[in-house]
Amino acid sequence: MRDIVAAALDAAEVAGAAYAEARVVSERSERISVRTGRVDGIASSETLGLGIRVIADGAWGFAATSDLGAGAVAAAAREAVWLARAAARTWQAPVRLADSPAVRDEWHGRCEVDPFSVALDDKLALLIAAEEALRAEPSVRVTEASLDALSVRKVFASTAGALIEQSHTEVGAGIVARVVTDGEVLTRSYPNSHGGQHVQAGWEAVLAMDLVGNAPRVAEQAAALAHAIPCPSDTTTVILDGSQMALQVHESIGHPTELDRVLGDEAAFAGTSWVRAADLGTLRYGSEHVNVVADATTPGSLGSFGYDDEGVPAQRFDVVREGVLAGFLSSRESAAAIGRASTGCARASGWNRIPLVRMTTVSLEPGAWDLDALIADTDDGILMETNSSWSIDDKRLNFQFACEIGWEIKGGKLGRMIKNPNYTGITPQFWASCDAVCSAAHWQVWGVPNCGKGEPMQVAHVAHGAAPARFRNVQVGVAR
Amino acid sequence: MSTGTPMPHEAALELAQRAFALADGDEVEVLAAVERSALTRFANNRIHQNVAERASSVSVRVVIGTRQGVAATDLTGDDALARCCARAREAALRAPEDPSFPGLPAPVAAAPSAPARPSFDLDAFDADARADAAAAIIAQSAERGLTAAGTVSASVAGVAVVNSRGIRSAATRGAARATVLSMDDSGGSGWASWLGADPTALPADSLGDRAALLAQRSAGAQPLEPGVYPVVLAPDAVADLVDFLGYTSFGARDYHERRSFVALHEGEQLFPESLTIVDDALHPAAIGLPFDYEGVPRRRVALVDRGRPAAVVTDSYWAAKLGRENTGHALPAPNPYGPLPLDLAIEPGDATIDEMIAGIERGVYVTRFHYVNVEDPVSVLLTGMTRDGAFLIEDGRLTKPLANARFTQSVVEALKGLVAIGRDRELIGTEGGGSTLVPALALAAWRFTGSTA
Repeated sequence: MRDIVAAALDAAEVAGAAYAEARVVSERSERISVRTGRVDGIASSETLGLGIRVIADGAWGFAATSDLGAGAVAAAAREAVWLARAAARTWQAPVRLADSPAVRDEWHGRCEVDPFSVALDDKLALLIAAEEALRAEPSVRVTEASLDALSVRKVFASTAGALIEQSHTEVGAGIVARVVTDGEVLTRSYPNSHGGQHVQAGWEAVLAMDLVGNAPRVAEQAAALAHAIPCPSDTTTVILDGSQMALQVHESIGHPTELDRVLGDEAAFAGTSWVRAADLGTLRYGSEHVNVVADATTPGSLGSFGYDDEGVPAQRFDVVREGVLAGFLSSRESAAAIGRASTGCARASGWNRIPLVRMTTVSLEPGAWDLDALIADTDDGILMETNSSWSIDDKRLNFQFACEIGWEIKGGKLGRMIKNPNYTGITPQFWASCDAVCSAAHWQVWGVPNCGKGEPMQVAHVAHGAAPARFRNVQVGVAR
Repeated sequence: MSTGTPMPHEAALELAQRAFALADGDEVEVLAAVERSALTRFANNRIHQNVAERASSVSVRVVIGTRQGVAATDLTGDDALARCCARAREAALRAPEDPSFPGLPAPVAAAPSAPARPSFDLDAFDADARADAAAAIIAQSAERGLTAAGTVSASVAGVAVVNSRGIRSAATRGAARATVLSMDDSGGSGWASWLGADPTALPADSLGDRAALLAQRSAGAQPLEPGVYPVVLAPDAVADLVDFLGYTSFGARDYHERRSFVALHEGEQLFPESLTIVDDALHPAAIGLPFDYEGVPRRRVALVDRGRPAAVVTDSYWAAKLGRENTGHALPAPNPYGPLPLDLAIEPGDATIDEMIAGIERGVYVTRFHYVNVEDPVSVLLTGMTRDGAFLIEDGRLTKPLANARFTQSVVEALKGLVAIGRDRELIGTEGGGSTLVPALALAAWRFTGSTA
């Protein structure tokens, strides 16, 4: 792999690149899924390729190839230079990059038991047992159990002298129970929706999820949802569980503080941001209880690495401190545009994609509340758990989320179960209404393996630490 | 393609056959793709990302008895292909028996004939040509003091499917696409998009002009009071709804699980007779492959026929399970989603957009939606935002520009109130790489539930 990146860089310089960076990425993945009594997929894949990004005539170009023969590698480098020169025709000023040391290093994520070393029989046995346990509940009509494993190895090098080798392993797993009545689908998932929980770890993390042990409770709750009340249309207090808080942070704090969005570079597809570059240090983002940190060094998180895909070291920094905007997620180019150093958030989803500004582990720091005490402190409201739907506008202001399940809170006690609850809000007003965050005992890092951005589309693996939190005066039950 | 270079589908077929020769099982299926793609992306009135990719991929499905395993690779050397085949076999050996597996599909005797499409020359739409197109689009905004962002892209893929029952399907699919968002400093924005099989037909100047005009007209937008309004949805907005209908409702798996409104209302006169929704990869304007990812010819399927939910699409597994015809809509194996329509279309009506607007006393015109998601799959209850050109309709005319508004609306309920269908259709690219061929629609009731302003 080192020889390939070196050859690519040489060819790019010969072709006229003023700067070049090359990545060779090797990935191995496996997915197993069981659905309603049938193993509906056992699949594995491997991928290996080169991406080379250059600056020539002051503009960027990028080419990628899965053919790693010497001729194809050199051709990709030349094509990247050609693409840069074509782009340069529309530029008034050359690309500027924030300074970054040219690092030579290695980094490897933690993994106790390589999931690819575990026998397929054992994986199937686990999923089949979990799925069968879901089906023990007679009214559950559709059941799912799935397992993902991913191993990534990549080498990054640049004409500035960087040479970085990194590797990590990810696993994800989850179960889903659905009750289908005529005209209604009621769903419960564990440990999370949208494919379960995903972490940077090995097989040990899958076993720790205890899918089989949790299946009866999940199926029972799905069945109970068939008799739950609809979500009232109201403005009330909500308490969101940690996994829903993770997505709330993702959509309404993580994305709006991506500096490329702030600067307009994602305008046509993902959108821009309600946050301006000049707001740094002054914008009131939320209440004093809102403290958000981006931390690419969080052990075991999907958002962790040693160096980003521009070779910038992983960092931990404040995004929101005591409710005030304190930092941006940035790349070398976007950081230079506001005269700052990169915060090390340039990530590419594979060898065939350029690095974009992406989230790492963007977390709401824990507060001091115990969840039971927080519920007891709430006179009237709704507790919502586990995301089922999400939507937010192109400036990341107007959002609407739906959850799988909720419970009334009356007089400090949980009451009737609520099916398909939803809530909506405007980002700064919503975060300003946050008056309590639960403690570290309730705090957990949630993996989000499906974060889409960019054209061509990239799907990033990011994460968010969060604990349950309370918000006042929230509109719930939209169109219910 | 230059002389002597194999067409992409020829290269894909050669790759598929090489892998097929290395695979060992009672039944074997190989799906291969050879692809070149390029995307020129612009923002802030300059090309900021300019990328190109060459990639090949092979996916092998091995069947032993009724047990299946799948493995994929993008490495194309014989050693890598052999490893891939071995992994697929190993997975099949470990899989439990699946009595519901009907076997791989066999060749179809009377396949629908695929339309002749122009061969797509990516080399003729190279980095310079794409930069020219992007520059022309940008100029329409820049000359009016607006800011443009968008894409000019092209891709050519050869896809081949070979299986042990005798299927040998191969085709080249090519398309070019352009999108443009034009923005003014006050928050006004406009959008236009184009998709087609012939990049020389890309109307860069007029596309840039359309978006810029919308941006100028939408400056000074006011919030929309939440409520139920009649709407006129432009084709880009309709495409989002149709895309979600396809995903939630028109596949055999969700039909079988009774999570689709088609299962609940099959044959009923649910919508006005003017509404017919089809999946038709063979339409001359479509860009889809003429066969599915099992190599089975895609058939035109009337999913909603003159207002009646009529059918869902199938693949070999779901056709056998439901006792229906295989419509040729398999996704690549293994496929937990079941078959899906990838070339949806609404049959045209006879109204112009101006006529639709003229028929509304007070309503909303929507250019496109943003970040739409499903809250309830059965009623296709969607939520999302308007974006880049929404206007109040008063007394049959577009009057005030509207700030982005949130909707929460069942598409099934909205289509029951279908008032008019546009006579002109546009081919709209979807996020997943598919396309829809749709007209504008006028609907009697659409629920707006919030606003950004």
